[in-house]
Amino acid sequence: MTDPDRVIVSVTTPQWTDEQKAEFNKRRRGRNWALFAAMVALCALIYAIAVVKLYHAGHMW
Amino acid sequence: MSDTILRTSAPAITPDPELFDQAILGATTRDWLALLKPRVLYLVVYTGAAGLLIAPGPINPIIAFTAILCIAMAAGAAGSINMWYDRDIDAIMRRTAKRPVPSGRISPSGALGFGVGLSVLSVLLMWLATNFLAAVVLAISIAFYVFIYTMWLKRRTPQNIVIGGAAGAFPPIIGWVAVTGHLALMPIVLFAIIFIWTPPHFWALSLFASADYEKAGVPMLPVVAGAKATRLAVMRYTLWMVPISLLPYVLHLAGPFYGASALILGLVFVWYSLGVVRDRQDAAGVSLTRDVPAKAAFKYSILYLFLIFGALVVDHFL
Repeated sequence: MTDPDRVIVSVTTPQWTDEQKAEFNKRRRGRNWALFAAMVALCALIYAIAVVKLYHAGHMW
Repeated sequence: MSDTILRTSAPAITPDPELFDQAILGATTRDWLALLKPRVLYLVVYTGAAGLLIAPGPINPIIAFTAILCIAMAAGAAGSINMWYDRDIDAIMRRTAKRPVPSGRISPSGALGFGVGLSVLSVLLMWLATNFLAAVVLAISIAFYVFIYTMWLKRRTPQNIVIGGAAGAFPPIIGWVAVTGHLALMPIVLFAIIFIWTPPHFWALSLFASADYEKAGVPMLPVVAGAKATRLAVMRYTLWMVPISLLPYVLHLAGPFYGASALILGLVFVWYSLGVVRDRQDAAGVSLTRDVPAKAAFKYSILYLFLIFGALVVDHFL
């Protein structure tokens, strides 16, 4: 480790209590769901923009 | 973040146990959202939406929503980069010490990557949804906040928020350009209103947060010039702000409803600023009332901006 101000901690060390493991997993699951929701929303938004642009350009309906 | 190894910026020696635990457990979704400085976003989104609503010409609701979303994303991205750059002074200031980066819940590189990625995405999405000029102005606003304000001015001069305030004044221009595709006098006047509003807003805040700024070595006006000079500066800029806020009416860009609203709201702001100047204070200008008038002026300055842009939109549809 080159940076003395940083600490490396293994989450698999025996110091982790069940509560800490559960909290860690809960947070990771929360982040993953948020990222998934953001990706889906972005795809939907780009699709909607494309539809609007094509509609106004007269290429749809 | 790796499953097995977590890096934190918590000090190796005797870290704060509570913060250390939080750092090891990793960031929550709320921490990532906190990087976007959501409190600042309200005003940015609001003024951007106002610029968009009063611009001449139609705009599809989906495109309008996307433009406002892009303004919010860009402002949040700039805030995230700001938190990356200022993590050293954020850790010193009480007001900011619990932010995700100084408290170790999000790594500095994570905040930087998040900010840069979101910046690029917001500009590209703005270009895709609206037009090239709106995307360019959006990119300039991000660059101004990051490079001119955060990296150049903030730690160098007490004029940091005077010049840097321009970064927060871009949203109405972006909203307008997103609709029309070109610049005009009205969005420039709106830019000027926010630009001149920023110093009294921030200096009122810095009056009661100057101890934090001093500790972190940020040369805010009360730290460098003293509280008395800051009080007078709040008053001076507020007096400048009133006539500038009347420009849309004087230039026939807005009607009498806006004119009357701007005048009344401006005079109330002057009254609050007068309270800041006349606050009971010692010889150095330090408040003996726990800066109650400065806190009131700061709160009113936020309300002022909401109301004056609201009046502009209402006036537009009258």
